[in-house]
Amino acid sequence: MSNSINIINVLRILFLVLAQIWIFNSMAFQIGNHIDVHFIIYPLAILALPVRMPQALVILISFVIGLIIDVFDNSLGVHAGSLVLMGYIRNLSFAIVEPFDGYNIQDVPSIRQFGFAWFISYISINLFVQIFTYFSLEIFTFIYILDILLNTITSFIVSIFSIFLIQFIFRTKY
Amino acid sequence: MYNAFQLIAKYGAHILFIVLEIICFNLIINYNSAQKKIYLNSSNVYASKIQNVRSRIDGYLSLKEVNDSLMRQNANLIENLIVIEYATKSIPNADSLDVAYDILPASICRNDIFNRNNYITLCSGRRHGIDQNMGVIESSIGIVGIVKNVTENFAQVMSILNSQTKISCSIKNKNSFGTLVWKDMDQQYMTLQDIPKHHKVSIGDTVITSGYSTVFPRGILVGKIEKYDIEIGSNSYTMKVRLFNDLSKLNYAYVIKNRFSNEQLSLESQEDRE
Repeated sequence: MSNSINIINVLRILFLVLAQIWIFNSMAFQIGNHIDVHFIIYPLAILALPVRMPQALVILISFVIGLIIDVFDNSLGVHAGSLVLMGYIRNLSFAIVEPFDGYNIQDVPSIRQFGFAWFISYISINLFVQIFTYFSLEIFTFIYILDILLNTITSFIVSIFSIFLIQFIFRTKY
Repeated sequence: MYNAFQLIAKYGAHILFIVLEIICFNLIINYNSAQKKIYLNSSNVYASKIQNVRSRIDGYLSLKEVNDSLMRQNANLIENLIVIEYATKSIPNADSLDVAYDILPASICRNDIFNRNNYITLCSGRRHGIDQNMGVIESSIGIVGIVKNVTENFAQVMSILNSQTKISCSIKNKNSFGTLVWKDMDQQYMTLQDIPKHHKVSIGDTVITSGYSTVFPRGILVGKIEKYDIEIGSNSYTMKVRLFNDLSKLNYAYVIKNRFSNEQLSLESQEDRE
């Protein structure tokens, strides 16, 4: 059981990272002169890890995935930094959206397990933090806070659509 | 050691998070040219701001040393002034440029101004070369008093705001001289008396020390005449002199050491005995 979960997680990570590098990175577009819209779907690889996975391990996996994306996006440290932060606050977000009867040891965050409302709020919190951090680190100065916020909001919308699309296309059990 | 392991087990994720974020930050500023530029610029801005604050604090902390060195420079300048005064005002002789006066800087420990007899305590004493009956001035403008008692590290100065004060003063560019005393309890004014009434004086004349004692050299500015009259039956003026210096704001003073005062005094006392 747990072995198959591990295999599925590894496969999902591989699939999402490759999809991000090959497909979604090249889908990025611009609105006007200032607004960069990025499709950021790789956080799903972290967000779909089991609820009770040790936090340190989650953070470490986030760092590795972020670095891989960075190497292909030629922005060393930007994706990694934002994804590590997201991996860190994932536990906090579990506490915020905790269902009435709590979590079980084998729970995996998915629509099937917790319902659509829970899943959308859980994904939104983490994804928003990740994308906001990503653009902050990319622009690197809060003088352009308006640009950062506009980029974050537009990218957040397209990214969360993409993520739900992927979720509905590949209905994983775990 | 066990505690350390426990700490890591408990806070491992947090420590790992911080370490990884620091690594990411380093990667960002080392491998991304745009972010690197921004980082270097803003860190320069902050570094220079911090440097500014630091230098201001340093400046404040070294104020005392700066002040001391300025005091020494001032002492030298006043010495030179007195030398010049002597060179121009008296008959030049072979050693007219010999410095008869030594100026010693001193800071004020205690200062009274509200009593009938006010005294000032200096923070330096015999160890620094101060002795009895030396004059104390604020600068080349304004006198302070006369040293009365000295210990190793302190000196008690009889302020000019003292009923016992009698300082020989004259009016600038005139050779008449009189005695400066403190009569009414006003810290701004003193009284100059005993100037014979056949001399011409006018309001606004500058009062200077006469140099006819061993205490003060000639030419230290004291104050300005604000009012004068002749008391009925008297042969001399009574003048109200507004002091140039404000003794209530006194922080530092210079003690005048006359190198030849002992010689002069012993000669004068011989005269008395005969």
